Amino acid sequence: MSDFLLTQIINYGAPILGAIVFIGAMGAPFPATVIVIAVGAFCKQGFLSWYTTGLVALVCVVMGDSLSYAMGYYVREPVLRRFGKSERWAQAESTFNRWGVMSVLLTRFLITGLAVPVNLIAGTSNFPFRKFFLYDLLGEAIWVFGYGGLGYLFGTQWELIGAFISNFGSLTLGLVILLAGIILAIRWLRSR
Amino acid sequence: MNTSSNPRKRALVIGLILVGSIIVGIFGLRTIRAFREFRGHRPPPPSAAEEIETDVSLIRDWMTIPYISKMYLVPPRILFKALEIPEHKNKEKSLRQLNEEYYPQAKGIVLEKVKATILANPPQPMPTVPDTPVVP
Repeated sequence: MSDFLLTQIINYGAPILGAIVFIGAMGAPFPATVIVIAVGAFCKQGFLSWYTTGLVALVCVVMGDSLSYAMGYYVREPVLRRFGKSERWAQAESTFNRWGVMSVLLTRFLITGLAVPVNLIAGTSNFPFRKFFLYDLLGEAIWVFGYGGLGYLFGTQWELIGAFISNFGSLTLGLVILLAGIILAIRWLRSR
Repeated sequence: MNTSSNPRKRALVIGLILVGSIIVGIFGLRTIRAFREFRGHRPPPPSAAEEIETDVSLIRDWMTIPYISKMYLVPPRILFKALEIPEHKNKEKSLRQLNEEYYPQAKGIVLEKVKATILANPPQPMPTVPDTPVVP
């Protein structure tokens, strides 16, 4: 998949990258981080202009995130009809509002595997869109220019850093899942 | 949450720990391996940006002939001629696609031929188009 996408990027440039990150932000399982690193290397080699490509990628990924937030927002009514009156729903909503900023920011560039669920939850739990947009923009700017910058720095050796960052991203996702399990297990043991 | 009284919640806790541990195990090892490979390399110095790439081991089968041509400063017509493939309609195809289309019986032959051609042809300055028209 990533080989095919890389070929299309060197053929058609920033618009294809924009489409990839836009669709990826809505949940398609594209290796977007590795692609952004590769694009940084293409910019260094002079195939793409870094500012146009960076801007297109940033605008498209933020649009994709906003759309997945909107999807969450528009399913809010049926979700509320099902869970709205429960105490747990209110608790979950208040927990997300407390940790939402951190969740949105960190899932943009560190735990990217959780970005789409966080967008949907943010929309469903009525997390303020302005706040979501601001931290989404900040996090995605770090993702695009940070990882793209690494690709630019390493040039033709981008595959080395790409492999490391891709695996590290999955490792952090695993750690988050494990941590969630441990926290729930501790609560379980305490309640016994 | 009283998990002890709810088998579904207990299964969730065990599932999270199990799935989390598996992911941490697999990707932890892969991260360490990738870090070891990456540790020995440093970003090339800024001056190297202007240098011509000569390491053919960096060629991959997702690359296209025009891309490789620009990367190694070898004119595309030389590469197409070496592959015995017409340039027309093949500029946007990857080496893998060219291989599947023109050499379906010989897997990887296009990649090897491109590498050999680049090694046999030292980099040549590519014709550049001036930014502004030249006034005679």
